[in-house]
Amino acid sequence: MMASIDQHKEGKKDVTFRVFRFNPQVDSKPYFDDYTIPVERGVTVLRSLNYIKEHIDGSVSFRAFCQAGICGSCGMRVNGLSQLACTTQVWDVLAKSREPEVIKVEPLRNLPLIKDLIVDMDPLVDKMKHYSNWVDSIMPEAQMGKKEFLISEEEFLRYDKATDCILCASCVSECSILRANKEYVSPAVLLKSYRMNVDSRDSLHDHRLAALVQDHGVWDCTHCYRCQESCVKSIPIMDAIHGIREDAIECRGKKDTSGSKHAEAFMSDIEKKGKLVEATLPIRTNGVVWTLQNLLPMAMKMIMKRRTPPPPPLVKSAKGIKVFREMFREMTEHVKQDHKSHKK
Amino acid sequence: MKPFDIVIVGGGGAGLYAAMEAMKTNPALNIAVLSKVYPNRSHTSAAQGGANAALGNKAKDDTVEMHIFDTIKGGDYLADQDAVNVLCTEAPKIIRELENMGTPWSRMEDNTIAQRPFGGATLPRCCYCSDKTGHTILQTLYEQCLKKGVIFFNEYFALKLSVSGSRSKGLIAMNMKTGRIEAFAAKTVILATGGYAKMYWNRSSNAAGNTGDGQAIAYRAGIPMKDMEFVQFHPTGLRKSGLLITEGARGEGGYLLNKDGERFMARYAKEKMELGPRDLVSRSIETEILQGRGFDSPAGTYIHLDLTHLGSDLIKSRLPQIREMSMQFEGVDPIEEPIPIRPTAHYSMGGIDTDNFGRTVMDGVYAAGECGCVSVHGANRLGGNSLLDILVFGRIAGHTAAEEAGKFAPGMISEAELAEQYDAIRSGMHSSGRYERYGELREELGQTLALNVGIYRESSLLQKGIADIAELKERFKKVRVIDTSDVFNTNLIQVLELKNMLDLAETVAAGAFARQESRGSHTRTDFPVRDDANWHKHTLATMVNGNVTLGEKPVTMGRYELQERTY
Repeated sequence: MMASIDQHKEGKKDVTFRVFRFNPQVDSKPYFDDYTIPVERGVTVLRSLNYIKEHIDGSVSFRAFCQAGICGSCGMRVNGLSQLACTTQVWDVLAKSREPEVIKVEPLRNLPLIKDLIVDMDPLVDKMKHYSNWVDSIMPEAQMGKKEFLISEEEFLRYDKATDCILCASCVSECSILRANKEYVSPAVLLKSYRMNVDSRDSLHDHRLAALVQDHGVWDCTHCYRCQESCVKSIPIMDAIHGIREDAIECRGKKDTSGSKHAEAFMSDIEKKGKLVEATLPIRTNGVVWTLQNLLPMAMKMIMKRRTPPPPPLVKSAKGIKVFREMFREMTEHVKQDHKSHKK
Repeated sequence: MKPFDIVIVGGGGAGLYAAMEAMKTNPALNIAVLSKVYPNRSHTSAAQGGANAALGNKAKDDTVEMHIFDTIKGGDYLADQDAVNVLCTEAPKIIRELENMGTPWSRMEDNTIAQRPFGGATLPRCCYCSDKTGHTILQTLYEQCLKKGVIFFNEYFALKLSVSGSRSKGLIAMNMKTGRIEAFAAKTVILATGGYAKMYWNRSSNAAGNTGDGQAIAYRAGIPMKDMEFVQFHPTGLRKSGLLITEGARGEGGYLLNKDGERFMARYAKEKMELGPRDLVSRSIETEILQGRGFDSPAGTYIHLDLTHLGSDLIKSRLPQIREMSMQFEGVDPIEEPIPIRPTAHYSMGGIDTDNFGRTVMDGVYAAGECGCVSVHGANRLGGNSLLDILVFGRIAGHTAAEEAGKFAPGMISEAELAEQYDAIRSGMHSSGRYERYGELREELGQTLALNVGIYRESSLLQKGIADIAELKERFKKVRVIDTSDVFNTNLIQVLELKNMLDLAETVAAGAFARQESRGSHTRTDFPVRDDANWHKHTLATMVNGNVTLGEKPVTMGRYELQERTY
């Protein structure tokens, strides 16, 4: 009997939810409200917020719909990390909480704030439209419904994971590029673009790719992997981003972008020297004119402060370059083989 | 805003298909879709299992005719046979159409759309995309609507059909972002807001917003509701939350076990076992629990859904979402141990009475999907037929409205009517004289429905349920909206949703009390047999002077005569 009482005690504790509040009608700036409630093991953050709304403060505002992790409505930041409130266990969060028994709940970042934990999703929808995030079928509308396209399991697997995306915008909130540039395409939109581009039923591949290699597009990603780490559906978003880039480099006519040139300059430096030749990188990426126009003032400053990278002839090959080149060659072979088998 | 040709309320599968089809029928029309959530959040996304269509990819000898018969038999002969005909005949075409526009489907070895067995179906004909079929269909439809440039009014809450005589002038809705009440004058309105099974609350698998908003505004406008007493309990809801474990889990070979470790379905459906129709399996589980063969726990008595024998690979590849849900909401990994489950209110067979073209009795008002009742599901829906229903009849309603919009003069909604709506929903709702709590009323509604209007029904229980609902409606007049702001007042929305659920709960309980027989999902312990002589008919619930009044409508028969339903 004692054991079960102890277990019961262990199964319940008082938890403080520090909730981000902002009502544009009355507040000049956001603030936090603390609500302390008893929480049993097994309870989610969303159930806790529902409890607060029903029993303590009916004005706390957040979105929630399916409560089963499939509709994507309740994306929010829990102790700083963007996730779905409905699938996040309170006790799991507490185990990693910096302040004992306190959970901070804030709205998603990188989208305009409406009220409390509610942000405006319209910018994301606008980007889906801008990057044609739909299949434009190669079959004319009048022909539809008569027969199936035959699609191999292999092709299905190429976009299977990407179609798990529920547009919860956790990745949007975590994206480091979006923090600096709200016009950036966004990880979710790149993922969807990739999914459309590898679908053999779609006819917009080239058009979509042409938009993706423009400014604020696929080349702006800095590989911080935060989107992938925060994805509530564990989708390998970075694979999609890399996929679009490789596709862009391979496609004729798309080679002529700064992004692809930058990537190729990296590759050739690594292959030759095992490290970067930074001094000429901007020229190889963006050309002489652009570099002179945009980077000359910074270059002057660097010279003044003696911070200039060494000129190419002075960049010596890295130690063990011969072994490295061998490994490099093997790796590129592997990647090429992989691609070939994928294409089949 | 200039009047619309078509205003569609609801952005799930039915609403989006209606929008697409209406644009296709007449590209010159001015069409709007209103939704209280972003369309991609709609509850269509939660449908895991799949959509039935006699493609014959898996079972070469499958036919549309067999699909028709399975559906009629599954619905315990209450479905209208001409409507079922439309549903099943259109099925292969609409699944291929979705495939042609880019819906991802799991594939067979010969690269055709994969199909699997589902409850109540003679042959494996359920087309699927692992266990995210509804989600991928919804995504595809939303993407296609964006491509076509459909005009969306996202996060608008429908308040009222504006009516003049026998026809609708359009819709009054609240912009949730600003709190403003806005008029949507329209020649036609299509209601596609989904089901009402969330009124059972914690004993429901539905999204929080499946509160029957479309049915409620139609009901209050005098449009009859059909067969409201038929609420389907899905056999396998998670014990704690009521959330759903797809029938696909049994389709892939899962067992139902009682506390003695017995596959008890052998006693109820010898041949079909776990893949009997939903109403039968739900009743069997409930009986096991009532007769003391369930597992006891503080969160309620339950039985086991055992997948452990299927092996880790199959569970991971075919049922990843249910594995994730079991772990997140029950702390159970189905690879290692059985999942605790019990029946949960899942689907409303009843809804707005429509003909086979989606028309209601009111000129210019149409309904489709779970919101409407054609009826194709009769007294019990088969798994895999609900996604099909929203697609087929969403498309038909869109087509009909587009063809008929020209018949109606554009509506005009006066400022006075808007002001009246504003007063009705805002005046005094925040006053301190009001003391009833929204959450308590909603909780009590769910409890009385589950206890008294649940799987097993009986005269005295139903009377108790009816009295409880009446009392809750009285108390609702004193409910207080705590949040006083205009911007995104979710508290106000919850209260408005509760009002919708209360109005509809009355029709469910009244229909269940009146129907003195057992048929499909409706089981009366005091009238345990189907009574075709007196009850082979639809019930119609109409609001007259604020009260529910029951009427009836004959069932359209066809090729199939009444038979006893056994599995």
